[in-house]
Amino acid sequence: MTLEEKKQAVIEEFSMYDEWLDKYEYLIELGKALEAYPEEEKTEDKLIKGCQSRVWLDYELKDGKLYFRADSDAIITKGIISLLISVYSGRTPEEIAADDFGFVNEIGLRENLSPTRANGLVSMIETIKNAAREAAVIPSEAMESPDSHVGQRPPQNDNAQVLSAEDVAALQPLYADVILALKQVYDPEIPVNIYDLGLIYELNIDKERKVSIVMTFTAPNCPMADEVMHEVEDSVKRVPGVTGCHIELTFEPVWDRSMLSEEARVDLGLDYEEDDYGKLS
Amino acid sequence: MKPEEIRSLFPALTQTVYGKPLVYLDNAATAQRPASVLEKERALASTANANIHRAVHKLAVDATEEYERTRDIVKDFLNAGSREEIVFTSGTTMSINLVASCFGEAFVQEGDEIIVSVAEHHSNIVPWQLLCQRKKATLKVLDIDEFGGLQVDTLEKMISQRTKIIAISHISNVLGLVNPVREIIRIAHGHDIPVLVDGAQGSIHEEVDVQEMDCDFYAFSGHKVYGATGTGVLYGKKKWLDAMPPYMGGGEMIETVRFSGTTFAPVPGKFEAGTQNFNAVPTLQEALRLARQFQQDPEVAQNEWAITHYLMETLSADSRIRMVGVPRGTQVKIPLFSFSVEGVHHEDLALILDKMGVAVRSGQMCAEPLMDRCGVTGMLRASFAPYNTLEEAETFVKCLNKAISMLI
Repeated sequence: MTLEEKKQAVIEEFSMYDEWLDKYEYLIELGKALEAYPEEEKTEDKLIKGCQSRVWLDYELKDGKLYFRADSDAIITKGIISLLISVYSGRTPEEIAADDFGFVNEIGLRENLSPTRANGLVSMIETIKNAAREAAVIPSEAMESPDSHVGQRPPQNDNAQVLSAEDVAALQPLYADVILALKQVYDPEIPVNIYDLGLIYELNIDKERKVSIVMTFTAPNCPMADEVMHEVEDSVKRVPGVTGCHIELTFEPVWDRSMLSEEARVDLGLDYEEDDYGKLS
Repeated sequence: MKPEEIRSLFPALTQTVYGKPLVYLDNAATAQRPASVLEKERALASTANANIHRAVHKLAVDATEEYERTRDIVKDFLNAGSREEIVFTSGTTMSINLVASCFGEAFVQEGDEIIVSVAEHHSNIVPWQLLCQRKKATLKVLDIDEFGGLQVDTLEKMISQRTKIIAISHISNVLGLVNPVREIIRIAHGHDIPVLVDGAQGSIHEEVDVQEMDCDFYAFSGHKVYGATGTGVLYGKKKWLDAMPPYMGGGEMIETVRFSGTTFAPVPGKFEAGTQNFNAVPTLQEALRLARQFQQDPEVAQNEWAITHYLMETLSADSRIRMVGVPRGTQVKIPLFSFSVEGVHHEDLALILDKMGVAVRSGQMCAEPLMDRCGVTGMLRASFAPYNTLEEAETFVKCLNKAISMLI
C-alpha cells in the first residue's frame, strides 16, 4: 500500500465509528496489539517530551526505509502511536519528511483528544518527522544555503517547470485564476496576501486540474496555521475548473523577507536596501 | 437544601457534554459558580467599574465600598481579629508566595529550617524551596503514614532551634483528609514557631475560625469556594504582617513617596500594590455566604456523608482499586477520592470518563512528591461539591467500571 492509500484506509476505518467510545475501543485494540518494546530500551533519550503519559519511540533505517517501534504506559496513547507507526513505518525518510500528517486531523484525533493529549500527539509527530529528516539523504548544504534552496524548491511561478510546455500552455489560464484565489487569503499577522508574502513555495496543477500547493508560514508554530490552510483550500477549490486541492506544509526552507514580492515590499514600505539587510534576520 | 435545589443555582451544571449530562467531579480544582456570583461580577463591570481607593467620583466610591465591604465579609468568614489581617491576593498560590517571600525576607537566615509535609500541593512546596535557595536555608519534610495521615508524632523531633516556619495544608488536595492542624499549631507554638495553613481545600469544607485555630497565616482561593477566578485571600496575624516588608512595590501600597525614601501604607494596603481585581473580589461576598450556608446545612452534610460512605465502600471493595487517604479513628474525610487502578493508566480512565460526560482529574494533581511517596506516576481523582448527587456518584462508579473493562 502506498502512503496515500494507507492513510485513506485509516480514514475509512475511523469513519466507521460514530461514537467516541468506539474510536477509543479501536485505539485500545491497536495499543494492545503493538509489538513489544524492550524494557531496557525505555531510556530517557527515547522518551518523547510533551506527553502527559510516557511515550518511548525508537527507529532504525533498513534498506533505505525507516522502521519505528514504540511503547507507552497509557493504552490510548499507545494506540495512537501504533496507528502512526502502521502508517509511516517502512516508508522512505523522504516520503515521511514530505508528508503533512494532515490525516490525523481528518480522523478527528487532534481535535477530540484532550489538549494535553493533543500536545503529546504533536510531539509524537514531530519525533517521527525529525527521525525522517535526520535519515533523509537531502544534501545538507541545500538546506543551509539560502541561495541553493531556491533551486531545490523554487518559489512562486517558476514551478511550471514540472509540467511539459504544452501542459503549461493549456493550464496557463487556470494558473492565473488560482494565483488570484491565493491572493485573496491574507496572513493573519501581516496585511499582505499569502502569495505576495512568498508563502507559496510550489503551485502545481496536474492534467486532472487538481491543484497541489506547498506552502509555509512566516513562523513555525503559527497558531492560525490550520485556519489559514483551510482558507487557502476553500479559496482555491472555488476557482471554476479546479477539481481538487492538496496542501502540504513545509518549513524548509524557512521563510524570510527575501521571499516577499515587490508588491508586498511596497505595501510594507520596505525599500531594497533595507530588505537586503533584513534578509539575514 | 437538597442537592437538586443547590444545582439549580449553578448554570454550568445543566449542560450536556458529548450529548451526555455533565457530571462535574473536579470541584477540588475549581468549583462551578452560582448565577448570583456571575451576575455580581457582570453588574460591577457594567455599573461600578472604576479604580478603587483613588478617585473621588461616584463610580470609584461605589467600587471601593464593594471591595472594602468584601474585606469585612472575609474577616467574618474566617473570624479574624481585625479587617487589617485580611489581604486580597490572586489566589492561594500568591498568598503562600507572599508569605514565603516577605516573612522569609524578614525572618529566615542562612542555615535556618522550614518544615512542610510530603502531602503538600506544589504551591506549598515550591515557594519555600525558592526561599531556601535564596537564603541557603533547609526544607524539611514531614512524612505521612501508609493510610495518608500526617505523622504528627515525629514533628516534635523535626523541630530545632533553627526552625522558622511550618507550612501545612488544612486538607490535602489528594488525600482529602482533614489534617490535625490544631495539634501541629500547638506543637509549633510551643517552640514559638509560626504556622501557615494552606486552606485551598479546607476553606470549602470546614468552618474555619482562625482565632480558635490560632494559625499565623491562612491562605485560600476564591474560585474554589464558588467565587470568581483570580481572587484569593491571605489571613495573617497583624504582628507578623506588620513585621514583614512589602511584597511588591507600586501604587496603593505607599504612604509617601520621595526619592530620599518611601514610607509604606499600613497593612493590608502594604501588600496590595497596583490595581486590584476590583470587579472580581466582591463576588466573594455572595460566594462565601453560600459556602457558609452549605457548611452549616444538615441536608448538605447528610448528602456528603452518603456520597462519601457509598464511594468509600464501593471503591475499597474493588480489589483493582488502590485508594489513598483512608480516614482512621475520628479523622474526617471530605468527599474527595484519589486512587489508582491496577494495570490501568489514570489518563486513559479520565479520557474515557470524559467521553461519558464525567469530568474528573487525572495525573499528579500538583503533588508530585506525594505521588512518588505512593509509588505511582499519577492517580484519578473525583471530588464532590454540595451540588453533586448520590446518583452522580453512582453514575461515576458505573462509568468507571465500564472504562476499566474497556482497558483491561
